[in-house]
Amino acid sequence: MSKSILYLVRRLCFYLIAGFAALTLNFVIPRLMPGDPASIIFARFRGKLKPETIDAMRQSFGLTDEPLLMQYWSYIKGILSGNLGTSIAYFPEPVSEIISSGLFWTIFLAGLSLIIAFSLGTLLGIFIAWNRTGKLDTFLPPVLAFLGAFPYFWLAMLILYIFGFSLNWFPLSHAYGNEVTPGLNLPYIFSVLYHASLPALTMVFVSLGGWLLSMRNTMISTLGADYITFANAKGISSRLIMLRYAARNAILPNLTGFGMALGFVLSGALLTEIIFSYPGQGYLLLQAVKAQDFPLMQGIFMTITFAVLAANWLVDIAILVFDPRTRK
Amino acid sequence: MNNYLLSIENLSVDYITDTEPVRAVNNISFGIHTGEIFGLVGESGSGKSTVVQAMMRILPPPGLISNGSVRINGEDILSASESNVKKFRWKQISIVMQSALNALNPVLSIREQISDVLKTHKDLVGIDAETRAKELLSLVDIDEDRLNSHPHQLSGGMKQRVVIAIALAIMPPIIIMDEPTTALDVIVEREILAKIIELRKKLNFTILFITHDLNLLLEFADRLAIMKNGRIVEIDDVENIKQGGQHSYTRKLIGSIPSASGSRQEGLLSKPDSLDFPTTPLIEIKNLRKTFQSPGLFNKNKLTAVDDISFKISEGEIVGLVGESGSGKSTIAKLVTRLIRPTSGTIYLNGENKQVTEARNVPLEYRKIVQMVFQDPFGSLNSIHTVYHHLSRPLLRHRLKSKDELFDYIIKMLETVGLSPGEKFADKFPHEMSGGERQRVAIARALSLKPQIIIADEPTSMLDVSIRMDILEIFARMRKENNLTILFITHDLASARYLADRIIVLKNGSIVEEGPSEDLIQSPSNEYTKQLVNAASPGWLETIHKNSDNKEIIDA
Amino acid sequence: MNSRTQNSNIFRRWFDGILSNKKALIGTYIILFFIFIAIIGPFFIQSPTEFLGTPLTPPSTKNLFGTNGQGQDVFAQTISGARQTLFVGFTTGILVVIIGALIGGIAGFYGGRIDDILSLIINIFLVMPGLPLMVILASWLPPGPGTLLGVLVLTGWAWNARVIRSQMMTFRNRDFVSAAIVSGEKNIRIILVEIMPRMLSLLASSFIGASIYAIGAQVGLEFLGLGDISTVTWGTNLYWASNDLALLTESWWTFVPTGLSIALVSFSLTLINFGIDEVTNPRLISERLWREKIPRNLIKDGVTPVLKNNE
Repeated sequence: MSKSILYLVRRLCFYLIAGFAALTLNFVIPRLMPGDPASIIFARFRGKLKPETIDAMRQSFGLTDEPLLMQYWSYIKGILSGNLGTSIAYFPEPVSEIISSGLFWTIFLAGLSLIIAFSLGTLLGIFIAWNRTGKLDTFLPPVLAFLGAFPYFWLAMLILYIFGFSLNWFPLSHAYGNEVTPGLNLPYIFSVLYHASLPALTMVFVSLGGWLLSMRNTMISTLGADYITFANAKGISSRLIMLRYAARNAILPNLTGFGMALGFVLSGALLTEIIFSYPGQGYLLLQAVKAQDFPLMQGIFMTITFAVLAANWLVDIAILVFDPRTRK
Repeated sequence: MNNYLLSIENLSVDYITDTEPVRAVNNISFGIHTGEIFGLVGESGSGKSTVVQAMMRILPPPGLISNGSVRINGEDILSASESNVKKFRWKQISIVMQSALNALNPVLSIREQISDVLKTHKDLVGIDAETRAKELLSLVDIDEDRLNSHPHQLSGGMKQRVVIAIALAIMPPIIIMDEPTTALDVIVEREILAKIIELRKKLNFTILFITHDLNLLLEFADRLAIMKNGRIVEIDDVENIKQGGQHSYTRKLIGSIPSASGSRQEGLLSKPDSLDFPTTPLIEIKNLRKTFQSPGLFNKNKLTAVDDISFKISEGEIVGLVGESGSGKSTIAKLVTRLIRPTSGTIYLNGENKQVTEARNVPLEYRKIVQMVFQDPFGSLNSIHTVYHHLSRPLLRHRLKSKDELFDYIIKMLETVGLSPGEKFADKFPHEMSGGERQRVAIARALSLKPQIIIADEPTSMLDVSIRMDILEIFARMRKENNLTILFITHDLASARYLADRIIVLKNGSIVEEGPSEDLIQSPSNEYTKQLVNAASPGWLETIHKNSDNKEIIDA
Repeated sequence: MNSRTQNSNIFRRWFDGILSNKKALIGTYIILFFIFIAIIGPFFIQSPTEFLGTPLTPPSTKNLFGTNGQGQDVFAQTISGARQTLFVGFTTGILVVIIGALIGGIAGFYGGRIDDILSLIINIFLVMPGLPLMVILASWLPPGPGTLLGVLVLTGWAWNARVIRSQMMTFRNRDFVSAAIVSGEKNIRIILVEIMPRMLSLLASSFIGASIYAIGAQVGLEFLGLGDISTVTWGTNLYWASNDLALLTESWWTFVPTGLSIALVSFSLTLINFGIDEVTNPRLISERLWREKIPRNLIKDGVTPVLKNNE
């Protein structure tokens, strides 16, 4: 048992280091640019801002006259207490508040799409690898690969165009309709799912191919193993062999890849949200870019990074559960 | 012919390729009587494993059975429908697979892997299944709380026993054992075989035993079939085969078996005219120790692979280093060739301390003097380069030959190791040659620098039995003609006796005994050496039965 | 004397092997088509930036793909856009493979302390989500292909480095490497002459994978407005299409051609990768062969088929 705990602690340490690296990167980047970041922005806005605003910005950047190390220390303290600075686009609102409103929706959308795409892709992958008639095998991977070649936001545009604007089957924007009240009531839940359908559909279409192919390939490798032949010789049912012997082994490398793919999935979610005016981090990111709101951009970077690190750690736990070789 | 339990007639098996199908098994027929132990012997490429998998119709794609019948108790499994085939499996015939190390599902517990057969064939669940599973484990002397373990927690020998237990689960009339002990150390192997024979007497089943090791079968089989290139060349009672059999191939196989008992075979080995070696050793190892740290930041586990080893080798001597897996012999090979650095200890070459623990870079001089031949003939050659490349690189690196002299010298080297005409082989790639040919190239590569000593790490273990002698022959000849010193590392005591003047026995990183080959074999003093000698000699079956009260041996 | 030159043989053999695969061949044709268009195309079409006709007119004989929100010819824009997008994409691919081979190769070959440090760096870059970081960097730096290149390489090198490191470690433990070391070969020579040529497939598919990633990410950044919006690239085409409310005005022609081009390019590269996979792992196709050559009714799950029965 202790080997497992040790493993999880080691992984946690790694994520802490990675988190720190991200924080440091965040700190360093504005200071690498020539000149004082606040003045640069001031210059860009050409006098549309009052002097007090500039001071406030400098403060929120942590750009005081203190030595670099002190700045770094106050910066770290600030982050750990939840202070992510003040937004420029939504001045004077603090970044942390702006982000928290959108974080839930991004995670909801990304999570929903991920679960669907991963489950569907994995099941299909098992099936077409096992099933030796091969028609599905020659057809599905290339088609899904083609779908996956489209940028997320482009497919979002196409789907919104067809199903939203033209056919009018689905809503065009937002996470839920105006007629429902947020809370744990059925109308609200239905509305949420209804509004999430197109964005989730987009994301599933793009990512499905990847999961399917990956599972299919690991299944094919696994099916060549000796223990499959032995299981076959034992005379047990084909379904049992496919699931308990082949799939349970084939899924392990995919779980490892799952953690790494999370970053991609979240990035895709951000871009998709923009098209659907879905009120998540993606929409915020677009506003931030338009207004050159660096505190907000950096805040989004930090929250997404932490979310990915946390999710990766959960995947490590899952692997521990599924693969007995990682335990003692 | 009708009193056969298992009868195979005109069996042919092909593998589908993008060109012509490859015929792996060509029209073979044989029968096994009830209660018999029937052996099927063949080297790599003989088709023996294909036969076995075809018999149960578990041969994976691209395999195809082109013709034949396989009858068990009169019923033909090859003409059965899909659902009826499943009825044969495990109830009429079961199998202990080659290298059981991979036959068990890594993510399921032992209990689950035993109980799924019990449920499928006998509808046993719950307590009944549990009881039966415990029974089966006790048959093979495994503790019942191993039911909770996963395969990676068991040793090689234990995994093999578990697979045997599973094969016995439904008590089929015939069990196939496909190279069940090939991957195991020789002592463990003998014990498991003894156990199998004991179980057979107790439970009364028939065995079809597949192996490349003819020597093994001579001890306990009743009848044998010998396969070569997909055909059966001879079938006969074991007694007749022992005399040499009828077919030339059989005779070649019998003649290739070095023995660890009796007197040394005549004429095969060239001993030096006198066993006097110079007193200053060519190479001396003193207090060599190597510990490995398990990888990972917080890992405190250390493994001592080599623990305070000291020995000397004189010029012109052939020393055999004998040990099983985990004995540290491969680590010693890597230490002496300086592929890894020792944790402590010294190596003297020609009297000089080579600073092996301190120096990070190995001087070119050392490389010229100490060379190596590896175990895997395919792995030690780079598949993308020709033979010429492999032989020319060391010479160019050490600037021993100029570009003009290179070609002729390489041709000469190839012919020295028996690859004639040299020109034909110089252009070949590794996959265009057989295992034996590749190993000869590897030896030529090692010899080309004219080293003083060659470390040969299991040079013949991955080669077919029939050519092993020829390879050892090259070493013996090199010693005789060029006074080449050889450290011959092997797990096979008999081969060591055959080639080496002196033998060092290694166990768990330490030397347990050393001495001149003949003396060591005839009168071993250490207990472990005695076990090794017994395992390698005819009559090992009875010796084990005598020791069967000794439970400690069975913890393998 | 011995006239076989090793290296040209290795590359040529590998190349022939890949091109004999159907999928790789199709992919190669498609991508060559687009590269051809990217290089030659702009010379044969009207200016993509000229304000020609009425904005947002659907495809016609005058404007093959219609006009966009500024009145520019969409066909010309699609053709011109290929150049920079493909250039940045492939250049990123090459840079990423070089960096990956350097860092991953050194980490995998030398092991020990060096590997511990390099692996940590690789893993950190691997686990950080790419898009937000790219957005920040691209916002700070002046817009243009140089920025895009830098940002893409910085966020994309880690994946390949890890894969290459893995393979390098596998080879490092093989006997032929030990044999080379024991003969006295220098490490650099072993890496370059003995190991790297065996990693051709991996390096090729790394290059292709990195290019696919670069094209997609580049387009994403430009769509957000972080590219140089005064230039014509596939990404900026989509930026303008969105800005000019393509969906609301139902002007599908302003974004569909560009999107299809992007997809076709990525898809063709994916096909080539499929081909490389199949060539290096023949098991992926050997079963298909077997299935084709054996009568359908004989193929049953988990049971070896029998052709004849001693008739």
